[in-house]
Amino acid sequence: MNKDKLERLKNGDQGLFAELVRDHHRALVALVTPIVGTSEAEEVVQNAWLKAYKAIAGFEERAQIRTWLGRIAINEAKMQLRQRKRELLFSDWGNQDLNSDPLATRFAEDGHWQNPPTDWHVDSPDSLLMGEQLADCLERLLTEMPTNQRSMLEMRDSSGLPFEDICNELSISASNARVLLHRARTQLFKLVDHYQETGEC
Amino acid sequence: MLSCREVVNDADQLLDGELHWRQRLSIRFHLLICHNCRRYVRQLRMLIFAIPYMHQRASDEEVSIIMAGIVSSEKSDA
Repeated sequence: MNKDKLERLKNGDQGLFAELVRDHHRALVALVTPIVGTSEAEEVVQNAWLKAYKAIAGFEERAQIRTWLGRIAINEAKMQLRQRKRELLFSDWGNQDLNSDPLATRFAEDGHWQNPPTDWHVDSPDSLLMGEQLADCLERLLTEMPTNQRSMLEMRDSSGLPFEDICNELSISASNARVLLHRARTQLFKLVDHYQETGEC
Repeated sequence: MLSCREVVNDADQLLDGELHWRQRLSIRFHLLICHNCRRYVRQLRMLIFAIPYMHQRASDEEVSIIMAGIVSSEKSDA
């Protein structure tokens, strides 16, 4: 976002704020869904947008806007849990699906590639996940992904939250968080690689 | 020397800048001679850059609901 737009946003330009909502709303819903559940995620993010609108004048430009919004949404989700006297939904944090590597079958017994990645023909990163059919496959993959892996992906890679902050927020060890993120990324890699090779999921 | 599987396991931390210089050196050495792992690391980096764009944009209806909530809240604050 350029400086002029940001200034207008900070001065309360509702048209630009609506564009911000359009760009980031679904990512924020995805971010808080593992914390509060599907039924309350929309309400939490609605409240987060209200807070963000009131606080946007104080947004510091050195932060990424998605990360800033993500922090507000997570705080709102945690507040919702406290108000309802509920615990985090992650009863399975740290011990789910740690032993299956999505790319395990791609290696020979000696640890070298047996089925190496295909060469992706993509102009820019932002177009990589944009294909209509790929978007459907991606949606399915994310829905089926274990909650803890999905959350790591949403918090770290989609919202850009620092790794340490995520571990503190969710009370998980750095080593478990690393494994979860690796599993999530490699599942995504496998999906895109197959799509690039065959044009199908 | 590292195997390709080990490089793939450590590639996330390499790209996130979290490896000790000795581990980075081992991986760099492997990458010099292994074009499959070079491709993997290059494409994983691209994928990580692409992840923030993986969500669809909100619909007009979703945006309208959020903005109506903001306008209503502003009126009640005034």
